[in-house]
This record gives sequence, C-alpha cells and structure tokens, in this order.
Amino acid sequence: MALIPWRRKVSEVQSSAESPLALLREEFDRFFDRFFAEPFGALDWPAWFTGQAWWPAVDVHEDEQHVVLRAEVPGLKPEEIEVSVTGRQLTLSGEKKETAERKEGGYYRSECRYGKFRRVLDLPQTVDPEQIEATLAEGVLTIRLKKTAEAQSRRIPIKAGQ
Amino acid sequence: MANETRVKRRTEEGKVEHLRSGTCYQPVVDILELPEEIVVQAEVPGAKPEDIDVNFEDGLLTIYAKVEPRQAPDTEFLLREYRVGDYHRTFRVSETIDSSKIAADYTDGVLTLHLPKAEAAKPRKIPVKTGE
Repeated sequence: MALIPWRRKVSEVQSSAESPLALLREEFDRFFDRFFAEPFGALDWPAWFTGQAWWPAVDVHEDEQHVVLRAEVPGLKPEEIEVSVTGRQLTLSGEKKETAERKEGGYYRSECRYGKFRRVLDLPQTVDPEQIEATLAEGVLTIRLKKTAEAQSRRIPIKAGQ
Repeated sequence: MANETRVKRRTEEGKVEHLRSGTCYQPVVDILELPEEIVVQAEVPGAKPEDIDVNFEDGLLTIYAKVEPRQAPDTEFLLREYRVGDYHRTFRVSETIDSSKIAADYTDGVLTLHLPKAEAAKPRKIPVKTGE
C-alpha cells in the first residue's frame, strides 16, 4: 500500500528513547543543531571527521570599537600560527609540533595535544582588514579586530520630551 | 572529540586539596622518560614566569601558577570555551630522582621540568671483557 502514514512511524521510533535507532537519531539531531544554531564555531567539525587532533579553545568578546578574540595555544611560536580574515570569517591555523624529547622517550603520561589545527570563526561584525593586531604572550594569542565604521555601535542620546 | 576531553581535564579539580581561594585548574601534562631524566611538560597558558611556583618537599612535586584574569569581570562573552584560573597540580616523585638537581624552564605557556635520575637509577651498560 502506498498510503502508509510514514510520519507516525518516525514519531514512534522517536518516542522510544531506548531504541538504538532513536539514539542515533538524537545524535544526528544534536550534530545538525550545533551546526546550524551556533553563530560561532559552527564549523567545528568533530575530530574524527576532519582528522584534526586538536584545536585551540577560544573566547570572544566585543567592545564599542573592537572584536577581541583570545585563544590558548601553549607551546606554539608566533611563526607557527597563521591568522587570516576573509570578509566576516577569521581563520586560525597552525601546527603544534612534538618536541624532540617527546619523540625520543617513552612516556608515563600524555595529555597534551599535538598536530595541525584549523578553525574558522564567524565574526559578529564586519572588521577592517587593515586594522587587525595579533599578539602572542605566554601561550595566549590575542587578536584585536577593529570594527568598520558602520559596525561600531553609537550611543544615541535620549532627550527628555516636554 | 579532542577538544571536549581537553576541557574536561582542565576543569578537573577534585584530586588535589588546596587551601587557596578561587578556582584552580589542573594543567595538562606530558611526562616523558628519557635515559638520564624524567621530563614533565605542563601547559599553563597565561601564567607569567614570575608567578609560577615549583616546589619539592617530602617527595611531592607541586606546580602552582597564578593567573591574572584576562578580562574585566563583567565582560560579556560572545563565545567562551575556557575559563581562566590558577593552575595547581601535585606529583609524587620516587626516590630515584636526584631532587637537588631539578630544573625548570618556561617558554610559550609551557613549563618544562627536568628531573634528573639519581646515579643508582640510571641504566648502566656493563662492558663484557673477553677472557684470555
């Protein structure tokens, strides 16, 4: 019969939370929700998908004139990090190389992550590509991006009416 | 997912009892064994070299690093994947380490401790002579 109401079937599967199919479905839902809902980090593909071993943790805030991004990149030298801005996307990439000692010896504990990373972040405002400043100190990368004149917030004075 | 495990480790706080106020994070570490020494590499991004305190007492090696907040407390974050706080972690060091020669250096947010093995613990190759 061609008139089987397939929608009901789907909802049945959904309701039984224990079934492995439902779990798989939830997993997919979460994946797509994350992908579409987050304005930032939407392109954070899981490691098994990209072959990336790690990516730096980031925080972003903005003030009236700047968008400021900070990333923790311990063990990386300035020349090992690449920052580029295209339109409203900022790309952070680089490679954390294993130290010579690490390659040579056996280890008791290995918690640090090594390898290539690449992160693309959507910026909340348009920024002036000529006025981007990146500094690295003590393993913390700070990127200050100046907003374009149109994107800067202006405070509008409110007059008291009579 | 790599990122998630990393963040989890950073927020692990239960294993050490500390009497300092505020939130402490356990830095992630690599502990390597080389023929002559044990090397501990701890990631403490944001810590200034003068604020890192490495202590060895009663067989316990303690790393403590003070980290100043990077933003004003009322900052509104658009994205926030990590928290800033002091780092604290303790390791029990066996007697096979020559504690008087422990050395530390710090570059790019990574603290490296060199724990030289005591003479008795170093691998020794015994030359075999041929008898006449």
